[in-house]
Amino acid sequence: MTGKILAVAQNTFRESVRDKVLYVLLFFAATAILGSKALGWISIGQDIKIVKDISLSAISVFGVLIAIFVGTNLVYKEVDKRTIYTILSRPLHRFEFILGKYLGLAALLGVVTISMAVVAAAYVLTLGGTVDTTFAIAVALTYVELLLITAFSVLLSTAASPILGALVVFSIYVVGHATNILIDLPPHFDDTFARRVMELVYYILPNLSNLNVRAEAANEVAVAWAYVGWATAYGLFYTAVVLALAALAFEDKDV
Amino acid sequence: MPTPVIDIDSLTKVYPRQIGQPARRSLDDLRLRIGENEIFGFLGQNGAGKTTTIKILCSLLRPTKGAASVCGHDVRTRAARSCIGYLPENPYFYEYLTPRETIDFYGRLQGLDKATRAREWDALSERLDLRGIGAQRIRGFSKGMRQRLGFAVALVGDPPVLILDEPMSGLDPLGRRMIRELILSLRAAGKTIFFSSHVLGDVEQICDRVGILVEGRLRTQGRIDELLNRRNEQVELVVSGLSAETADALARDALHARRSEAGLHLTTADAAAANAMARAALSEGGQIVEFTPIRESLEAYFVKEQAS
Repeated sequence: MTGKILAVAQNTFRESVRDKVLYVLLFFAATAILGSKALGWISIGQDIKIVKDISLSAISVFGVLIAIFVGTNLVYKEVDKRTIYTILSRPLHRFEFILGKYLGLAALLGVVTISMAVVAAAYVLTLGGTVDTTFAIAVALTYVELLLITAFSVLLSTAASPILGALVVFSIYVVGHATNILIDLPPHFDDTFARRVMELVYYILPNLSNLNVRAEAANEVAVAWAYVGWATAYGLFYTAVVLALAALAFEDKDV
Repeated sequence: MPTPVIDIDSLTKVYPRQIGQPARRSLDDLRLRIGENEIFGFLGQNGAGKTTTIKILCSLLRPTKGAASVCGHDVRTRAARSCIGYLPENPYFYEYLTPRETIDFYGRLQGLDKATRAREWDALSERLDLRGIGAQRIRGFSKGMRQRLGFAVALVGDPPVLILDEPMSGLDPLGRRMIRELILSLRAAGKTIFFSSHVLGDVEQICDRVGILVEGRLRTQGRIDELLNRRNEQVELVVSGLSAETADALARDALHARRSEAGLHLTTADAAAANAMARAALSEGGQIVEFTPIRESLEAYFVKEQAS
């Protein structure tokens, strides 16, 4: 079983590396990281902090964009280009295919995240700053966030067109970073249907703020290892649930 | 028939209603059994349900009703898919891979170890003449090259059953001949082959049995010789060197008669009548120029079935 998943994953990695959108987004990410010094100049004495903050945010935003634009195409493209016919007619489970596609993109995002983090860290060091453990933790939790967003992208890829999928996943990313607004409603929403819907969405959607320690990293504030462990488990649990839903959605799908 | 290798039982497929499109019944209570080591030609017009049947057999579509099995395993199981080599119509592969990498990829999906995959490449590249293009990217391959690669992919893992969707479509005469010979050699190697095709001449040459699908229902199935009723076939006799009176007499006894530069063409009801007419012509000093059984072609039969 592992060999088949690995075969699909390696192929997905090779395929995704050839996606032009990856390089466009990486270019903008590098520009954002290296251009962050410009904002540092207007924040007297805060330039290293600003560079760290913008660099970590760039890793998150551009990583998420790659996860969305490549991820929402993953299964859809296989069906559209009919390459899936000769794959699913082989003796592998459909969930193995989904998992392989997911792991291939997750590996690519791992390489992308590490590359962007190395560039950001080197830039911070060049500017005379320091790179501490919290910086590494912020990058690691950002990667967990990317794993979760990729799982949503794969789920949508099994059921919707890439454009619709990208819109939905991007909305999940945005709302996931501000879940509190879903329940902090003005009093006149009390006992309304809208409030109940908002509460439902609040409990269903992951709270991506749990995976965001970028402000702590920028301010060089230590983060407890217990929190890191809990946040990682939270992100990976959500990822597993979303991937299971993707496998379920794909199990009986006509291709 | 002994235990069938492919057993299709009351298969029905209805595509659900979509925006702007009503629900569509593609297959309706299809029942079909294919025996071991048989070449079965699956015929029908575009939209008759051939590809739907094939995709259900390969577990790409789920039937609305009914069931199907391959080698005794329900088509939804991995065990069934282990028995199947599938060539889709116009096969698509990852364009950035080479044929060698492609065979290796499908070998991994088949669960073959590295050494076996290397042996598979050696054997299949030799058989399908892929060795010269083994290191080229698939992007830019011609239709014929893709079809050869598609066949090689279908044969990875040496499956006992081959399901081929329009394997000859779009190929030039040499390409079609190669595919025909390949199919025949696969039967000689003990494989069971189920294929759909529009190229009826090729089907007639190589199939043991055919089935004709009309609007999702099986109109007819059987051995080609039986379907075309060849035992009672008419014969065309061409004779020359006859006197006008003898020619007129023979023409009156024939089902149909016409004259050409070659001589007098006489159509008889069967071979016995043709023999009698030939003896009469020879005894009157005539010569037999041609003696040709008029065979109903599969194409003519197919058109007749569609029209009915």
